[in-house]
Amino acid sequence: MMLRWSWAAPRLALAPAVVVTLIGFVGSIAWTIYQSFTQSRRFPEYKIDSARWLSQYERLFANETWWTALQNLLILAIGSALAIVFGFILAALIEREKFGEGLFRTVLLYPLAVSLIVTGLVWRWMFNPSLGIEAFLRGHGFENASFNWLAAPQTAMYGIILASIWHGLGFYMALMLAGLKSINTEIWSAARLDGVGVGRLYIEIIIPMMRFTFLTCAILLSLGVVKAYDIVVAMTNGGPGTSTWTPAYFAINAYSTRSNIGFASAAAVIMLLITLAIFLPLVAATAWQARRREAARG
Amino acid sequence: MTAISEVPAQPGRAAILIPRRRRRIKGSSIAIFAFLTMVSLFVAIPLYVVIVTSFKPIGEITLGQIFDLPVHWTIQPWMKAWNELCTGLACDGIKQGFFNSVMILFPSLVLSIAISSITGYALALWNVRWADGFLFVLFICAFVPFQIIMIPLIIVVASLGIFGTVWAIALVHAVLSMPLLTLIFRNFYKDIPRELINAAIMDSGSFWKIFWEIVLPMSGNIMVVVLILMITTVWNDYLVGLTFGGISTKPMTVILANSVITSRGEAIYNVNMAAALLTAVPPLVVYFALGRFFVQGITSGAIKG
Amino acid sequence: MPEVRFEHIVKRFGSFSVLEDLSLRVEDGEFLVLLGPSGCGKTTLLNLLAGLLDVTGGRITIGDRDVTDIDPSQRGLAMVFQSYALYPTKTVEGNLRFGLSALKLDRAEIERRVSWAAQLLQIENMMGRKPSQLSGGQRQRVAIGRALVKHAGVLLFDEPLSNLDAKLRTEMRLEIKKLHASLHQTIVYVTHDQIEAMTMATRIAVMDQGVIQQIGTPDEIYEKPANLFVARFIGAPAINTFDATLDMKAGRVVARHAPTAIEIDLSRHDFRTKPEAGMPVVVGLRPEHFSVNDASRDDGAVRMALPVRYSERTGSDATAFLEAGDQLLAVRIEPSLMSGLRIGDTMVASFPTDKLAVFDARSGLRM
Repeated sequence: MMLRWSWAAPRLALAPAVVVTLIGFVGSIAWTIYQSFTQSRRFPEYKIDSARWLSQYERLFANETWWTALQNLLILAIGSALAIVFGFILAALIEREKFGEGLFRTVLLYPLAVSLIVTGLVWRWMFNPSLGIEAFLRGHGFENASFNWLAAPQTAMYGIILASIWHGLGFYMALMLAGLKSINTEIWSAARLDGVGVGRLYIEIIIPMMRFTFLTCAILLSLGVVKAYDIVVAMTNGGPGTSTWTPAYFAINAYSTRSNIGFASAAAVIMLLITLAIFLPLVAATAWQARRREAARG
Repeated sequence: MTAISEVPAQPGRAAILIPRRRRRIKGSSIAIFAFLTMVSLFVAIPLYVVIVTSFKPIGEITLGQIFDLPVHWTIQPWMKAWNELCTGLACDGIKQGFFNSVMILFPSLVLSIAISSITGYALALWNVRWADGFLFVLFICAFVPFQIIMIPLIIVVASLGIFGTVWAIALVHAVLSMPLLTLIFRNFYKDIPRELINAAIMDSGSFWKIFWEIVLPMSGNIMVVVLILMITTVWNDYLVGLTFGGISTKPMTVILANSVITSRGEAIYNVNMAAALLTAVPPLVVYFALGRFFVQGITSGAIKG
Repeated sequence: MPEVRFEHIVKRFGSFSVLEDLSLRVEDGEFLVLLGPSGCGKTTLLNLLAGLLDVTGGRITIGDRDVTDIDPSQRGLAMVFQSYALYPTKTVEGNLRFGLSALKLDRAEIERRVSWAAQLLQIENMMGRKPSQLSGGQRQRVAIGRALVKHAGVLLFDEPLSNLDAKLRTEMRLEIKKLHASLHQTIVYVTHDQIEAMTMATRIAVMDQGVIQQIGTPDEIYEKPANLFVARFIGAPAINTFDATLDMKAGRVVARHAPTAIEIDLSRHDFRTKPEAGMPVVVGLRPEHFSVNDASRDDGAVRMALPVRYSERTGSDATAFLEAGDQLLAVRIEPSLMSGLRIGDTMVASFPTDKLAVFDARSGLRM
């Protein structure tokens, strides 16, 4: 059979993307996983010592800072989940009271355009004990006001959470608003005619209808938290001590400061596993959503 | 909809003349409005504080009144941030970073949009049997953490001999954004009517001609969305610039972070805040100019899986 | 103009078979309509010819050329789509020109063809407009123009009139017919609308479940349906069918309808297969072949006096529904008879022998 151009052209056009995927992603991931089983330090080694192939992971989980990082990951995830809750409440309120919708949306969304580095620096400035909000409050009669969160290991994570919520609030609100707007308007009329109260309407009808949106938000938030690096650098640079390290910060640090490829790879592999654990429900939910849509179509 | 459920129907007349009822302002509306205003203040205040700080002379800053407007407005901090901000020992201002960011932005935009629009087009409209499998791989690639591919990418980029140049940073950005952008383009092109493409296949049959003459001219909206998404992503990136940039090729965010975070000397807050604002201005301009597309861009990658 | 041949075409989607061993010859200059209900495989067949789908097995030739493995744009075809498929970002003129892009013509020839088509279809005054600024009928003309400029030997139509309103559809029907009469292209036209098929085709291929049930001129299809499916699919109101049993009565063949004891005389029917006593058959009587309350005609196959159930009038026509056992018999009547008609009245309807259709009840084939 002769070569048909309509067969060959699209495959040719796909070649760059396939090459990028194979080298940049598939191959690179495989390489990193492989390295995590070697004794690589400053330069990659390719020999796996069968007796010590798990030694990087043993060292990793014996490392106290790594445990701190994992713990911070959890704290950050739970804390920033408030952004979803507030995002939903804001979306619901904006959707109900159309008055000023455009203005509120513009204001609530602008932090998204600001980089996390700038976000971190700005909040660092606000948290400044001698010149920031704390000083302002004390200067206005609140002598015991304490807003110097970043200086103490116990509260530094809360500072990062606050800045993360500030940055992400608009994003989750926008997703929620899109979800709310996709709900058939007749439901609102029907509920009104039936005399269903607003609270019950949301709890029993609207929120269950938006469970896919909530799931999407939760998964995106989790994925974002696993990647949390810039905000930590900008606000605390990991400190005080190592109290605000995250796995992402840990992995970068293991490579750039400790120059240990094997160790950094092991941390990155754990990050990948966490990502996949978060990601699987999204795949399942997407498939479920697609099937439901198909069923609805008949 | 409101009219139907609230106004009792007046047969006959109602259809002709519905009296416009004056909106009663309810207590709950005021409460909601007040709440929204408070949240908006929480979101808006940091921007306000940064702006006023950047216009204050250093003497006013030490008073600790961060919410006050400057008594004596000055653009000195802005000039200093642009021209004299120090990173380490070099005090060349943030302007070098600005130019680096621009030099990174354009090649990465061209590269990533070219490759992902063509890939999305081929996957959506041409018959490639392994398209679905490839899309699934891209879907996963779009979400993997950067750390898992960072070291091999450094090795690859170094072996290409461009490590430490703006080209390296641009190339890595194009690679990293390719999966997500491809998915966005593919979802958009999938909605082009099948018959239109069939007509083009019968008329011309050329993969590239159909792309240039039919598909690309129909992509206006999605191009703007993707452009905004890429501009904000690349401009606001820190990690890629930090990892792949050389001493004189670091983007704006990296220079900003280095000078503010790691500087040993006395912190000059007004200059720092001016530098932060300078860094934030380009994406903010994009946001305020193209808000509608911006929201679409930020969320389109997220919802359509 | 070339002829088109399908030879032993097989098309499967995965394990789902749409066409099995289908062969069809479209003669040169012919207007062939592929007619059938949705899902019968007619559009699949058209797409295989166009090259938009690949055959699983078999061969397609256009003229003397085997085009089975040739790209759609190289097959020497032009196609008009159901949704018109005009390029939204191009002007009308741009749409016409793009149709020529695979042909590598010189500039003068392109100009000549574009202005020829514009004139032929009376779209000259809208050449600079975008498709979104055109009405449905205008878009249709542009779509046809885009197909005509190619001067392709074979023109394909995929339900091109289904998006138009009734009045425009009638106009365009005539227009397409005139185009065929003056240009003599070979046309393959897919539709599920029997009126389009009957009015435009030189031959109709009726399809069902991936099989061509009958191919013939509109008259043949209508008057001599090859099987029950074709008989029932063609004609509105639909043909009346009676389940009956064959009987030999003093050398005469009759079909007896058990519930009403109506006997239909088949002795003058031109049987294609030998009738046998006791054979179950289906007798088809088209509503418009009845004559009503006409005592003078006695050459008929059957005369029956039946009560009227109801009647309806559709413009120039009227139909009475008579009760025959457990089924209704549709009879076309003069509209003027409507006024005197009352429910429950008895109507005498007779049917001429030469219009009868008799089918073997087991195979469904015409006898």
